[in-house]
Amino acid sequence: MSLYQAPEEKAQLIDMLKAPIIQMGKDQGYEVVENYDLGAGPVHVAWIFKPGSESLPDMRLGFICLTEFSNRSVNEAIARAMLNLMDKIVFVVPTEEMTRSIKNAIESMPDRSILQLRKYVTVLTPSTLVSKSEILRSAERRSAQTGEAV
Amino acid sequence: MKKDMAAQEQEPTKSNQVDNASIFDSNHTTVQTDMLADIGLQKGFEVEEMRDYGAGPIDVVWNIDIHPALPKVKCGFVSLDATEGGGSQDTEDNQISLRKIEEAAVRGIRSGLDKVFLVAENEEMAKSVSGKIEWLASHGSLLRLDSVSLGLSLDQNDPSIIASSQTRVPQGSKIRKRAMRERESKFDKYNRPKGKRRTAEPKKRRQEREEKLQRFSRPRNQKLK
Repeated sequence: MSLYQAPEEKAQLIDMLKAPIIQMGKDQGYEVVENYDLGAGPVHVAWIFKPGSESLPDMRLGFICLTEFSNRSVNEAIARAMLNLMDKIVFVVPTEEMTRSIKNAIESMPDRSILQLRKYVTVLTPSTLVSKSEILRSAERRSAQTGEAV
Repeated sequence: MKKDMAAQEQEPTKSNQVDNASIFDSNHTTVQTDMLADIGLQKGFEVEEMRDYGAGPIDVVWNIDIHPALPKVKCGFVSLDATEGGGSQDTEDNQISLRKIEEAAVRGIRSGLDKVFLVAENEEMAKSVSGKIEWLASHGSLLRLDSVSLGLSLDQNDPSIIASSQTRVPQGSKIRKRAMRERESKFDKYNRPKGKRRTAEPKKRRQEREEKLQRFSRPRNQKLK
């Protein structure tokens, strides 16, 4: 991947990363908000749901798509998530290599920082979002069509 | 300093204006960094310059030793200028974008700083930065950005902490509100009463008022019928 990405290319990649998250959220029956923004900048997708009881507060799970790795983009994304009142944030990145770089950056924070982001941030690629049961089910469907054993 | 630099420049062409702006910004930042480091040293603090703890560069860090039994307090300074990621349109308008402010503050927090001061080019910009930080914190996030971060400029002499209007305006000097209340009470006195006051009003007073309204609420040159 080149270091510089054209804005259209970047927007296209973000849309591609966003699409399965929106679909998954809707399938699970959550309220899905695209570009959730209370003023601190957009969180690409937010899942809002009630955790079981009406008396409990809504939980907000935010997804921010990162197309490139830099400390600046990670800082910005964390600020956007925290200031937009997200309870947890998932960074969605296009490659496994980027996942590793961002995880390293998050985990290498000084121990005495007031923010310990290990529990707040999760880094994923869209392929890891799809559950293994989904993969098995699709494999079963394929084998039923072709007659192969799974 | 800005004037001296401008005098040295010789009619910049459009093509090199952007380069000049970035050179100016980097020089400006270096001067700010040096000044902050000097102030820290004068005050007897341990000073670190251009440190990167893994979350991005911090221009100056003051390690303040308050007591041998207590850990050092780390105050970091991050310069906000046109070279700080993204465009320079915001700094030209004496405003710094929320994106840059958020990024710089989180950079400081992730670097393990106890306080992050965002250094702006001038006082107006610093106040705008502080105002934006207050606004961002007002949403009620877990992260009270305003307790960690503050905008300041090196040429300002007043405290950069934003005081609320209740504390800024001492009681008894709320002249504008008092004048407004007096004006409203005058309206109540001379206008036609409404609701219960209307039925309770004595007939004589009503006649008197209506007569006055007839006389005074018409253009000066208009004659009475």
